[in-house]
Amino acid sequence: MDSRDELAARLDACQKCNMCTAQCPVAKVNPRFIGPKGLGPDMERFRKGQINLDETTLDDCSNCKTCELTCPSGVKITEMILGARRAASKARHKNTMGLRLGLRGYILGRNEYLGKLGVIWPTLTNQVLKIKLVRLALDKTLSISKNGPLPAYGKPLKIQPDKVGIGTNTNKQVVYFPGCYTRFNEGDTGRILIRLLEHLGYKTIVPDFHCCGLPLEANGQFGKADKNGRYNLELMRPYLEAGIPVITSCTSCGLTLKEDYPKLETRSAQLIGAQAYDLFEFLWQLHEKGELPLDFQEVRASYGYHPPCHLKAQGIGTPALRILGLIPGVKIRNIDAGCCGLSGSYGFKAEKYEKAMKIGSGLFEAINVGSQHGDFQSMTTECGVCKVQIVHGTGIPTEHPVHILAKAYRLID
Amino acid sequence: MWDAVVVGGGLAGWIAGIRAAQRGKKVLLVTEGVGTLFYFSGIFDYGDIEGLRHLPKHPYTLFNSEDIAQGQHFVQEICPEYIINETPQSAFTVLGTVRQGDLMPRSMILPDRQEQGRFVLLVPEGLKDFFPEVVMTNMAREFPGWQVSAKRMRVDALAEWVKLGKSVSSIDYSAIWRSEEGQRVLAHEIEEIKRQYQVGNKPQEKIIVVLPSLVKEYVDFSRTKPCIEEFSLPVLEMSSFVPSPHGRYFAEYLKHRFTDLGGELMIGARAVSLNQESPSENKARTCQEVIVNSKGKSLCLKGKKFILATGGLLGGGIKVGMARKSIHEGVFDLPLFVPKEWSEPQFFASQPFAQIGVETDELMRPLDPERGEVVWDNVHVVGRMLAHWDPWTQRCGGGVSVTSGYAAAELV
Repeated sequence: MDSRDELAARLDACQKCNMCTAQCPVAKVNPRFIGPKGLGPDMERFRKGQINLDETTLDDCSNCKTCELTCPSGVKITEMILGARRAASKARHKNTMGLRLGLRGYILGRNEYLGKLGVIWPTLTNQVLKIKLVRLALDKTLSISKNGPLPAYGKPLKIQPDKVGIGTNTNKQVVYFPGCYTRFNEGDTGRILIRLLEHLGYKTIVPDFHCCGLPLEANGQFGKADKNGRYNLELMRPYLEAGIPVITSCTSCGLTLKEDYPKLETRSAQLIGAQAYDLFEFLWQLHEKGELPLDFQEVRASYGYHPPCHLKAQGIGTPALRILGLIPGVKIRNIDAGCCGLSGSYGFKAEKYEKAMKIGSGLFEAINVGSQHGDFQSMTTECGVCKVQIVHGTGIPTEHPVHILAKAYRLID
Repeated sequence: MWDAVVVGGGLAGWIAGIRAAQRGKKVLLVTEGVGTLFYFSGIFDYGDIEGLRHLPKHPYTLFNSEDIAQGQHFVQEICPEYIINETPQSAFTVLGTVRQGDLMPRSMILPDRQEQGRFVLLVPEGLKDFFPEVVMTNMAREFPGWQVSAKRMRVDALAEWVKLGKSVSSIDYSAIWRSEEGQRVLAHEIEEIKRQYQVGNKPQEKIIVVLPSLVKEYVDFSRTKPCIEEFSLPVLEMSSFVPSPHGRYFAEYLKHRFTDLGGELMIGARAVSLNQESPSENKARTCQEVIVNSKGKSLCLKGKKFILATGGLLGGGIKVGMARKSIHEGVFDLPLFVPKEWSEPQFFASQPFAQIGVETDELMRPLDPERGEVVWDNVHVVGRMLAHWDPWTQRCGGGVSVTSGYAAAELV
């Protein structure tokens, strides 16, 4: 059965039970959103008859994939919605997105270029973005919410091209796909990750990747997203062919590499799915082979953990919890209280900011209650923008779990 | 290496996972989604246990009454709002009819029909699939000695929905009732009811407020602020309809119980096959790992024990192709009991297809139905996947799932 037929079969599998809509974080807060069942399988039948919706209706989906995890019949709901958005974006002259939202989509989708601009003089950019008037202007001209927690820029992560060449010792090399957030907003996390992999005896190659493409896709720019994907796959090709793993520290980049890249029609597209690893998924594999050193120092700290939606969608469980559980002293509690609401750039949009905060309210409450009970002092999560949203919603310090592991290996204080 | 890998996140899988984790075992629960728990009424049906135990091969024959009682107590331990009673108790369905059940939340249990009093049905504006006239007619028929009246109400938080003429799912309403705002609105409504019916009337008239989509159970105070108010009149819950608010909150609650006990949840992953130790002649084989499709790659999950809780035909554990001969169990490809005739013309009669499932020995290990030998030594089959029972006509779905899930966890 080819994937097209499979999608059709999955469409027929929809029993109209409405559980996806009942669990959808967006439908919960936005009565105008027709929900995953309506937008996915219901409308799919019309789309099959060439009746297409305009993009603004489809745009309400935040692409968190909760519906796909909820469906008891395995219907690929988000995939259908994304397919419809892709089709609608091709018929752009007919849609009602308007110039302003189109331009906003163009900009928010290009976090990579924003990052490249932002890190030229990070302190200046951050100061400018803190000016209320600037945010008001962004709100009025581009509908980028004046309240949204736009992440600050920092010292960027340098690329580490492969000067020596792959050579023969391929089993001690990895390619690192840092993603735009780590590269431009939180270079430290990337540098720590590279030190950690070095500590474990791995040579880490960081080619000059473009953005994975997910933000472009989420902002309706499918052509550009595919182009980025093919470009990145071409950079990965020699390593993939040599069997070298590609490591991600951002769960959304990771999901894109695993779920979207295999659909691009290139040779390396057939390899990337099996060779892409979330960092902790990779470390757990080392641990199972007995190759992860366990000479941890005690880390006396307690954390709440937020599993990002796009980690759940990868179907690999919570490997970070498994690894951190090996460190003496670390107390960690899996909060797992739903989507943070930000969904990439969704919560930055003026008309969506309030809804995004409402979506995240259950998570914020769980974090606040837990920290007030003294269950933990700070939070940890793999996803950069979840982190930004958690700090915005609760004020509780949040870091990537690699920081905790690096402390245990005495690599950082 | 996990002590146990539970495949399937329905009632039986969660019970098995939570109990095994509670016993200090390292447990991984792999599930494709949230499964059929979202069809949960809020009530556990056990059926006529003694009668069913006399049916040949019924899953209850695998357990003694102590096993069954232990499962019930376990449910009560994790959800203290559930009441164990010698005789079945009754609750209102969302249609206002009365249904019996064996283990149900305290605030769902109906008063004595011999008593007299008044039901006031609160009718939330725009609640989907809720028909107050039908409900009131049914309630009046079921409780002839009682007065039945209705009070319509609205909640500001849903004003936008109402303005658009959009119906509100019972799950969304249940979230409101569990919020501070919802509690406040309810307290106010109930005060009004009290004033309306107790002033002028004889003050001793017993008034019970009935509220659809209310779920008072499964509250996790380590994740939510306590905001349950005591109302001035008793408030009765109704059993849930799909998509079920009881199921939604119960599933979330079970998940948190499980992970708080150290269990790991792997959602969005489908178990597809297994690897085994090289089989020797005439010996049951040992499963070493299950293979799970995650995004991009397959994962091999090693375990000492495997608990198969993938559900039956409805839950997706058993797949049927267009030609009826193609029927198989999706993970271990276990031999299935399949009756010769699948259906019987009378729709509400016990349908033979309900009996489809895996036959097991007393330790719930899968058997080859022809030779009667154990197929896998370290695999236990629980819940709907078991053969020779019918949850619909025997009304024992919750009982079989809880009992088998709990018993399997004891074997880890």
